[in-house]
Amino acid sequence: MDKIRRALLGQIAKLTAGAALVPLSSIASAGINDQPPRREGDPEKRYAMLIDLRACIGCQACTVSCHIENEAPLGSFRTIVSQYEVEHEDTGDSATFMLPRLCNHCENPPCVPVCPVQATFQRQDGIVVVDNEVCVGCAYCVQACPYDARFINEYTQTADKCTFCAHRLDVGLLPACVESCVGGARIIGDLRDPESQISRMMKEHYSELMVLKPEMGTAPHVFYLGMDERFVSRPDAKPAIWDVRDQQGEEIGYEFSGH
Amino acid sequence: MDKNRRNFLKGAAAAGGAATFAAGYYGPLEKMGKGLVNGTSGVATADRLHGNSLAPEYSVDPKTGAVSLNPDQRIAFTVCYGCTTKCGVRVRIDKNENRVLRVSGNPYHPLSSDEHLDENTPVQEALRRMSSFRDQGQLNRSTACARGNAAMAQLTSDQRVLECLKRTGPRGSNQWETISFEQLLDEIVAGGDLFGEGEVEGLRSIRDLNTPLDPDNPEYGPKANQLLMMEATDYGRSALLKRFAFNAFGTRNYGHHGAYCGLAFRMGSGALMNDLEKNAHVKPDYANVEFALFIGTAPSQAGNPFKRQGRLLAQARSTGNLEYVVVDPALTAAASHAAGDRSRWISILPGTDTALAMALIRWLLENEGYAKDYLAVPGNKTAGESGEAGHTNATHLVIDEDTHPRAGYFLRLSDIGQAEAGTDHDHPVVVNQAGELESAESASSGQLFVERRVQTSDGPVRVRSSLFKLRQEAMRHSIEEYAEICGIDAAVIRELARRFAGFGRKAAADAHGGMMSGAGFYASYAVNMLNLLVGSFNQKGGVAKGGGSFNGVGAGPRYNLADFPGKVRPRGVFLSRSRFPYEKTSEYKRRLAAGESPYPATAPWRSLAPPILTEHLLSGLEGYPYRIKAMIGAMANPMYGQAGLTSLLEEKLKDPKNIGLYVAVDGFINETNRFADYIVPDSVMYEVWGFTGAWSGTLTRMTTACWPVVEPRQARTAKGEPVSLDNFFIELGRRLDLPGFGDNAIEGADGRMHALNRAEDFYLRAAANIAMTGEPLPSATEEDISASGIEPLLERIRDTVSEDEAGPVARLYSRGGRFETMDKAYNNEKLGHAWSRPLCVYNEAVGTAIDSYSGRRFVGTPTHHEPRFWDGSRLRDHYPESDWPLLAFSFKSNLMNSYAIGLERLRMIKPYNPVLMHHNDAVRFGVRHGDTISIESPGGKVLALALVGDNVHEGAIGIEHGYGHRELGASSHIIDGQERAGNPYLAAGVNINDLGFSDPTRRDGTATWLENVSGASVRQGLPVRVSVVPYIA
Repeated sequence: MDKIRRALLGQIAKLTAGAALVPLSSIASAGINDQPPRREGDPEKRYAMLIDLRACIGCQACTVSCHIENEAPLGSFRTIVSQYEVEHEDTGDSATFMLPRLCNHCENPPCVPVCPVQATFQRQDGIVVVDNEVCVGCAYCVQACPYDARFINEYTQTADKCTFCAHRLDVGLLPACVESCVGGARIIGDLRDPESQISRMMKEHYSELMVLKPEMGTAPHVFYLGMDERFVSRPDAKPAIWDVRDQQGEEIGYEFSGH
Repeated sequence: MDKNRRNFLKGAAAAGGAATFAAGYYGPLEKMGKGLVNGTSGVATADRLHGNSLAPEYSVDPKTGAVSLNPDQRIAFTVCYGCTTKCGVRVRIDKNENRVLRVSGNPYHPLSSDEHLDENTPVQEALRRMSSFRDQGQLNRSTACARGNAAMAQLTSDQRVLECLKRTGPRGSNQWETISFEQLLDEIVAGGDLFGEGEVEGLRSIRDLNTPLDPDNPEYGPKANQLLMMEATDYGRSALLKRFAFNAFGTRNYGHHGAYCGLAFRMGSGALMNDLEKNAHVKPDYANVEFALFIGTAPSQAGNPFKRQGRLLAQARSTGNLEYVVVDPALTAAASHAAGDRSRWISILPGTDTALAMALIRWLLENEGYAKDYLAVPGNKTAGESGEAGHTNATHLVIDEDTHPRAGYFLRLSDIGQAEAGTDHDHPVVVNQAGELESAESASSGQLFVERRVQTSDGPVRVRSSLFKLRQEAMRHSIEEYAEICGIDAAVIRELARRFAGFGRKAAADAHGGMMSGAGFYASYAVNMLNLLVGSFNQKGGVAKGGGSFNGVGAGPRYNLADFPGKVRPRGVFLSRSRFPYEKTSEYKRRLAAGESPYPATAPWRSLAPPILTEHLLSGLEGYPYRIKAMIGAMANPMYGQAGLTSLLEEKLKDPKNIGLYVAVDGFINETNRFADYIVPDSVMYEVWGFTGAWSGTLTRMTTACWPVVEPRQARTAKGEPVSLDNFFIELGRRLDLPGFGDNAIEGADGRMHALNRAEDFYLRAAANIAMTGEPLPSATEEDISASGIEPLLERIRDTVSEDEAGPVARLYSRGGRFETMDKAYNNEKLGHAWSRPLCVYNEAVGTAIDSYSGRRFVGTPTHHEPRFWDGSRLRDHYPESDWPLLAFSFKSNLMNSYAIGLERLRMIKPYNPVLMHHNDAVRFGVRHGDTISIESPGGKVLALALVGDNVHEGAIGIEHGYGHRELGASSHIIDGQERAGNPYLAAGVNINDLGFSDPTRRDGTATWLENVSGASVRQGLPVRVSVVPYIA
């Protein structure tokens, strides 16, 4: 078995039972670690994302546009859409479940306190960023993130992750993933502005929203509408197959696995 | 697994599984300690926080909304070549490096936008509307899809052909030398001993409009027909290619990818819509339809228009009123778990869609599930009076006795002595409510089900109404029998029919390329019939043909681009023996005269089918009806796309004795043009000119204007123009002294003649035609010009069109085309653009066309038959289930397409296509999830990885299309003695078309399996068997 497939199988965690709705009221509460003070960014804003899974068509436009916008190395992703097959036990009907994933810009980001050089920090607008001039590439934050949202960028040798395209938000533009979301599933915005689209949708759908791994106490700020609660933790699913083969049946591995 | 749960997870189905997102998990540990205490050991980033993210293209003031453009970048609107949808996009360009940075949607464009902006919106305002200012850009988006984003890698690909190439070894040996464009033209025009293999006839000699190519069969036309033109599809430049081919060179022979793409669907649809010339089709009005049935198409997984369907479907199922069912052998993205009961997937056995559709038709007819009053409307007069946008021929009477000279035709007034045959007043006849024969144009209503004898001028004869004939066909099998054939439970079919009928005129049935089976024509005709029966054509919330386009290349208001002095009208029989009845050939008459039966014909003559590339190539090399001497292909790749073609064609094509000259125009070397003698480098997307429209489903009229938003990178002509498809045909036309090219080739409305010496001479004049159509566009403002990045175009506009046209033309390009406003989409409860031809319950052309094998007439309504070969024998007569227990089918990928494998950002998400296998079949054949299996068909064998699950119909093998390449960068080529290495990852996976095979009932090896009526390549439902391959490497 090749490395990729082994890696994949190793990740299949047991389905977590009882994963519940996000306790939105707990968002502002104390975290699992002592967080250093937030700095930079607009203190008047709190950015967050809402993803309407009913409208996600799994087209990966977000994945590719983000990859281009942010010059991620091939094979590394700041965001991607996982696709699952789900079967209805009573009727036998199958359907496809799409799960876009990215950095959750948690209210209590576990990646921040573990950084030995304070390269990773949270802006006052809630966006978790990495200072590339300070980061030493130790990957503590990569290990600390419960959402697998970080990687070490092979070019820069620093920790890399979604920034909500802060460079675009800061000048009045939309993040690449939002701008190119074909189904209109991704909504970005300022939670402190009650008139923003995201605030209005949060209010309208408050009781239906879920976040990933709420039990970690990280208070994620990527909210999902239309979520199947069993996906808030890593699902117990049979893996897709990644051992690429050529036309003679020889395994040639994943082209970008060196990254 | 917790059995109490309502749903359970079956698998990470495909792309972007957990593995990729967590790829960073495993590497970093090794790298610890490499960094210095005060920073990284990697390359410094452009910004400390934003890393190497791109600089924003503009900024928007959060208070005022004022837009400030980034002076280092340009935003320009043009077309995407990522698929045939041809969306309008906005391209971000680094001005200093002439490099595309990223792509998103053109906000004026209906194929990219939720609600496209009125083209009178200034460009800066449009940019603000795409920004986060007041959330505008996400309340109303304009997007580019994953492939549309990734496709820009074509521009800078190291596999691109940038120079003119001439082969130095035998055909297909992958050995080339670089030559000048002028040398290439000299050689192909003059011919000679070009390859040291003997004389090659040049194009000058082949272009003979007077000498018959075959004196024994004068209907075949002149020698000039021995040039075959191939094109992938119309990406906006076909008009120029056809000007060269048909009207200047004068060949009759042109083919595009349609016959191995969706032709069976298109013709079935054309039969129903009474349009076998252009084969019109419809798409649901997604924003208002309440129930949709998708058979052989999966919107949001793939299809045309991809993004438009995807986003409208997503919105309709989340916040709208849509409930839908996807019938497909494979589970795709179209069935959404998150959308709950709004979507449902029903699996079906490949190639059996007709059975399902005929069962549904039967139920509708037996349970009055049809729009009775609408179907009873007999003609235009009553339609107009009753507020219908059109009518059907449900009530029209068909002469239904073989002995009658007009068997199969509609009973007309002239048959009963009430009009003169062939006149405008010779209307079809119906039985009115009083039970009398009456003109369809005078009766207020017709009876739906009629069977009676009537007296005609040719004697008494039995007539039946169209709807009666349809019911006869539908009743040939019980719903249980249909259910058995297609593998869907009869109760499910009945419930589906009940639901469909329950929504009445707000129900839509939609099909597309999944219809490419051995019964595809009638399958598509039958699926489309569901829309006719419930009356959803032209309805808001029904099905829509679409708004059409602005034609710039006709005899326009400013320039006549259709006609020119010396214009040739091509004549003769198509190489593919289509649109010409066998009964009119000299061969038929000779056989009849010799006293022998003229049937079966030597090979199929398909009088209903358009020219089809699926027959052109082998016919031209085999010499029936005649041989071709030369071939010019533009981006065409039938050897990848047509099931079974490669194994039949390859050796024949390699032999120069079979065809002397093959010139390809392309940016890349593909599975077909690798056998070319010459390759002319072409511009690729964002470097091209052209005008594109939309296929069906876009409710408003639109035309996309494309221009080279970045400079083409390939070689230049001696005159300094980029070598490209356009300039190749222009220069070739000039070399051959053809009419319509060079000086005095284009006539202005003022009578002045203009030159066609370079691409913009044609396209900018077409732009003037579009800009000046109807109410002329106003001039572009200075602000529009800078915000839409068209400064590099202005000089060329001014040099080419007249002064009063320059401003409007600039305005056209500043919006990326011309677009009707959204309020034209609807006219109350009807669509704004109606399809006004009578819809066919019975198609007279089909019902009177003769099968060239049997000599018998085709059935004129939808009918059920099993997948069959040319002689009418069934698939299973030749390839029984006992030997070939499974049926392979292909499905469109939501990422890859037939020419996208070179795009690394798609390969990194979905590098490979494991094949889908049902778990019961896996048990039956001893296959485990992840096993390597051999899939064998009567025509070939491939090795694949099995993805075992519940996401495919039992008995079927699903192959995602777009993988299993041998070229497009997968193989090495020697160019000027240097090796250009191939990338083995581009060859990963399997291509269903390698499992195609020849029709066993046609002369050995002369044809792949093609659907009988249309000649469409059969790729759905190929008989296969599988076996596990012992562990490999």
